[in-house]
Amino acid sequence: MHNCTETKERLIELVLDGRPVEASELNACAECRAEFDALNMTLRMTSRLSETAAAPAESYWSGYHERLRGKLATTPNPSHAEKQRRKEKLGPLFETMRLCVRTQVRVPLPLALAVIIACLALGVFAFRRTETPVAQAPLLVHVPVQVPVVQEKVVTRVVYRDRRSSSRNSRRAINDDAQTESTFAKSRKPSTDEIPASLNGFKPTDGIKLTVIKGGSPYEK
Amino acid sequence: MADSDTELIKRAQAQDLDAFCLLAERYARRIHLLASHYCQNTQDAEDLSQEVWLKAYQAVQTFRFDSSFYTWLRRITINTFLNHRRSNFFRWRGQSTVVQLLSIDLDDSGELVGSSSASPENIYNKLLFENVVNALAELTASQRLAFLLRHYEGMSYDEIANAMNCSTGTAKKGVWRAIAKLRARLSPDSHEPEPLIDLASEY
Repeated sequence: MHNCTETKERLIELVLDGRPVEASELNACAECRAEFDALNMTLRMTSRLSETAAAPAESYWSGYHERLRGKLATTPNPSHAEKQRRKEKLGPLFETMRLCVRTQVRVPLPLALAVIIACLALGVFAFRRTETPVAQAPLLVHVPVQVPVVQEKVVTRVVYRDRRSSSRNSRRAINDDAQTESTFAKSRKPSTDEIPASLNGFKPTDGIKLTVIKGGSPYEK
Repeated sequence: MADSDTELIKRAQAQDLDAFCLLAERYARRIHLLASHYCQNTQDAEDLSQEVWLKAYQAVQTFRFDSSFYTWLRRITINTFLNHRRSNFFRWRGQSTVVQLLSIDLDDSGELVGSSSASPENIYNKLLFENVVNALAELTASQRLAFLLRHYEGMSYDEIANAMNCSTGTAKKGVWRAIAKLRARLSPDSHEPEPLIDLASEY
């Protein structure tokens, strides 16, 4: 199936590349044929431009090359331009340093390298020696620090209410109470033993926490 | 035996001005032709092509023999063209050039002067030159450069796109638009080639 758009696209490329175009394809469509002829003629005309008037005469070229040579001679050569660029880049300070280091005495390269390596080795050796660790006594500084401490005591008293009205279990309760007391005494901390039974002589602090447990008897319901 | 390009380039890289001038003599015509097609003016073409050689001389030490010398030189040429396009360097004197050329062959009364240059073929060539120069002058700088690289240098669209720093579609569009304009200007009936313009507009 003939497609004019595709054919014209292909025709442009074929004409630009100077490749042959199939006659059957062109004969199938009058519009494509006209397009091809017009393209061919246009590009042939532009091609002839370089063959005819655009090319200068031979006498022109001798003058052209003379002028070019004159311009090239006045242009700084690449290595000089590179040196100039580097000089501007490094700056005057570095250039002065470089001039100071420069020597007029010619030194053989192996000798210069040997001297540089020896200097480097000595430098590394000296650096390592100074770097050896020295045992130092730990420095202790005593600084008295006052820490405010809030004096607070918590007194916990366990009060058992003795109910002697119960005649039936009185003896048993007494025994049990004694046993419980002894058990409790055993479980108490030793510091609580030092607390006096009464509050006489005890200087109260800012706060006292007193816990009263009512009905502490294990048989009370 | 003439020195090879490689030999001359190596000598030029070693700051041999004579070797570089020999290289310039080998390739100057191609570069000048491209420049004259691009800027449509003899003086501008000379200035531009000589600037290309000055840049090449400055950069010859960077040539690494990865491509041919002409490919490398053409890249410098295209960059120089593009730089000048941005700076409006060209003077666009195509019309005056044509008038000057025609005045060689015509006297005050308009009659042809001389026998050799007044042949019908010469007159036809000069008229053809006038038409083509004017048609090329009507293209934009990008279109003209893309067309020259495709038509005269035979570069692919990818190569043109790479050289002009644009996409392949843009390069193809530039070439097709240039051809459409040239065809409209140069065809005998001078009618607008609608199908080709439509085709170029698709890219």
